[in-house]
Amino acid sequence: MEQKRDTRFPKEHLRLLVEGKLDWEEVKKAIRLAPKDNDRFWKYLEVLQERVPWKDKILLRISDHLYIVAKEGGGRVVKCDCGHEFGDYRVNWKLGCRIRTRKTLEEMAEVVAVEEAAPEPHLVEIREYYCPGCFSQLGTEIVPEGYPPIFEMLPDLDTFYRDWLGTPLPDESPDWFQDKTLERPAEWAKEG
Amino acid sequence: MGICYQGKTLKEVVAEREKLFEDSGYAYGLEKLELVEGDPAKFMRFQMRLVAACINAREMAKLISANPMSLVQGELLFLLATPEGDVVSASYGLAGHIQAFPFMIRSIANLGFEDDPGIRPGDVFFNNDALYGAPHNADCYNFIPIFYKDELIGWTVGLNHITDVGGLQPGGLGVISPSVFTDGFTVPPTKIGTNFKTEKWWELHWKRRTRTEAFNILDDKMRTAGCAALHDAVLGIVEEFGVEYFRKGIKEIIERERRLLVQRIKTQAVPGIYHYLHLNMVKYKGVVGKLFAGSNRDWLLHEPGELQILPDGRIHCDVEGLSSEAEFHCNAYEPAIRMLTSLGCWPMFAYTQTLNTALYYMTSWNLPPGCMFNPQNPYAATVMSLAEVGKYIFLFHNPLSMAYFARGYLEECFPQDAAGVGYGLAGVMGDGFRWAGGDMTLITCWASGATPYKDGEAAMVCSPNPAPDLGETELGEFLQPTNLNIGKVLVPNYCGHGKFRGGLGVGMMQMITDPGQSLVVAVFGSTNGMGRAGMGMCGGYPGPNDVVVFAHDTNMRELLEEGKPYPRSFVEMRQWLEDGTLKAGSVEAFKGATPNIVCKDGDLFGSTSGCRGGWGDVLERDYKLIENDVKYGWVTADVARTTYGAVIDKDGKVDVAASDALRQQMRNTRKEKSLDAKDWWRQEREVALKKAWHEDVYNMFADALKWGKFRTQFMGMWQLPEDYAL
Repeated sequence: MEQKRDTRFPKEHLRLLVEGKLDWEEVKKAIRLAPKDNDRFWKYLEVLQERVPWKDKILLRISDHLYIVAKEGGGRVVKCDCGHEFGDYRVNWKLGCRIRTRKTLEEMAEVVAVEEAAPEPHLVEIREYYCPGCFSQLGTEIVPEGYPPIFEMLPDLDTFYRDWLGTPLPDESPDWFQDKTLERPAEWAKEG
Repeated sequence: MGICYQGKTLKEVVAEREKLFEDSGYAYGLEKLELVEGDPAKFMRFQMRLVAACINAREMAKLISANPMSLVQGELLFLLATPEGDVVSASYGLAGHIQAFPFMIRSIANLGFEDDPGIRPGDVFFNNDALYGAPHNADCYNFIPIFYKDELIGWTVGLNHITDVGGLQPGGLGVISPSVFTDGFTVPPTKIGTNFKTEKWWELHWKRRTRTEAFNILDDKMRTAGCAALHDAVLGIVEEFGVEYFRKGIKEIIERERRLLVQRIKTQAVPGIYHYLHLNMVKYKGVVGKLFAGSNRDWLLHEPGELQILPDGRIHCDVEGLSSEAEFHCNAYEPAIRMLTSLGCWPMFAYTQTLNTALYYMTSWNLPPGCMFNPQNPYAATVMSLAEVGKYIFLFHNPLSMAYFARGYLEECFPQDAAGVGYGLAGVMGDGFRWAGGDMTLITCWASGATPYKDGEAAMVCSPNPAPDLGETELGEFLQPTNLNIGKVLVPNYCGHGKFRGGLGVGMMQMITDPGQSLVVAVFGSTNGMGRAGMGMCGGYPGPNDVVVFAHDTNMRELLEEGKPYPRSFVEMRQWLEDGTLKAGSVEAFKGATPNIVCKDGDLFGSTSGCRGGWGDVLERDYKLIENDVKYGWVTADVARTTYGAVIDKDGKVDVAASDALRQQMRNTRKEKSLDAKDWWRQEREVALKKAWHEDVYNMFADALKWGKFRTQFMGMWQLPEDYAL
């Protein structure tokens, strides 16, 4: 993936930005950059790949800790930077998490400190989605009990790589851009 | 013979505008941009002249107004549109309104205005009716046609948010209104003047149908004067560049910028499907009683959003599953949702050289008939639709932030949830003078959400109004002397927490002084116990609710006479009440909107709003950032410990060893208190099977299940039997 690099926003700056350490003046320069550095995505993948302890090829970052990776034997799965794998990226990764719900005001107060501003516990709960490997908090929701977990993002990876980046993925298929989340609870129901 | 180019009628050119785009994919069918490409410098000069004319009109006209929202808070806009209604340039101010104006022209074209009452040089038209294109009735539009010789070549438009609309509640943003008949003064498209002057009868309407006649009459004059000034300036530009250049140039502006927006999405985002959610509680039960039987209930509003970034770079928004239309103030029409959500588009991708309606050509919406954003009841109330459509700016801010995050453009991430507090008020002074007013101070100073690389900022942004100003407190108090501002502070801990936290919200405290014979205050807000959003960003928590607290029959007068200080926020008020310094006969607390609250001398009115959500896991927050928060009083030491796992020592420093140990303990707690997904699924499924919800939640699900998309998700997620029904 080595190409001529746009040095207006160097990879080192991107690494610092990812770590939350880039000087604000440099961030402002990045915001003002017009046109944007069009090799950003490739630099990003390099920075991300260097930060994780595993070798699976990152296709896309979808949350602070989560990536869609290509498995060597085939398949695209969601993987945490700790190494835990959540399975097919077309299934909402939240269904592979450890899940805590805060249902009482007392439980909510640990994370919403201003008591007058807390959610109404008789109507909603606070959900916290953790990685089963490292117990990082990957997602939160404030919803009524029984609300289906929100599938935050299903990328159209083939269109992205082929049409927007001009570098098609080797395992292209129309099946990749399909929401398969409901297959997981269907399996659970069968298992009983 | 029509009034438009080549003798076409207005109705014909409006229909042609749609067809040309449908057939070609280009605005006005412009595959080639001859003027832009032929002489870019000249084109730039042309475009900037149009913008300057709009800004001049605004700056001149606003001095006619007396309404503080126009004068000092930027709640106004002047713009230039094509004959078909597309906006090609605008002043700064309430920018979103450019998205609504095309609907207004479509309305008058289809209503046959060209024949009756006629569209002639110098005519002045008005509309604030949501059914015909105005977002809600507080947003009043005056517009004047521009004729060159006998041809309609454009429109000049002036709009502002007026102080009081004469509705059931004082102000312009009432949160109790069962139908259009309680919304207040709502006027469908009407010719209100000729020869650039409004008719005398028009003033009588403002006098008799609204509470703030002086403000509203002067605002109306402001809008007309700005339109007239802009009209003359545009004709000067036509003379300079030639009418052919003008006719063609204003359309090329739209198409050129449409291409820019599409390109920006393809450069910075990732195609796919993104979801986000808001919920809101609307409380009417017991408020309107038997008089409005259909409104004597509460609603938990379901506000889901699906953003599809399409392979060609366009954006499609789907709200299927949104709560149904009802006899409440939250209904809206397409112009309102396009108008207010565009305010999420400007900062995220639609920042261009001028404000224009290019967005119309690259975004589409699915607003299913019968949902509250496409009501089938022509008398649906819409007075405060903006609280709900406004929240849909999230659909651009938050999913697009994830799309930019995925692509590596972290600096472009700008999460934001639209919800804020303001109020209307009305009363009778001691001498019998009847008056009313309103304040949007806390609307104009929201915090920003945390990003993947830094904390959100406090009091720095106003999503409904890209050119906001907190206004001048002194002017507010001069015009609304009953509400004395005694405090404005950033409220500690009042944000969504995360690895990076959201910006703190601002708290405001007012003391009611000498209200005379009577005073009511009606507060609007849109969180109402549900939190600021239904989900957080990458593990951060959403921002907490708005807070509104009234303390009645207090001893504030005595405290002031004794030279004692006063509470600056509701948090301090609570502490003072607890320690007995402040005494109150009664306290009313809300997590958002209120009905009319009767206030007396010495009452305290505290509110806070505008905080935002965090980004990332709280246990990964840098100790140095936490130390800084504690040092400045933005986060208290106890919250640093309970929420962030940071132990603050007596010098205000983080005890690293103790904090590392505490964080490990908190991770262990996560393990202990969480369930495997399958076990959790079984639990939640039981709730769905038993239908064991609070009445309001039950009703929300029952309504949402009427919509196929949500029903598929819900039934599939919980593997419910086919005959499952609520």
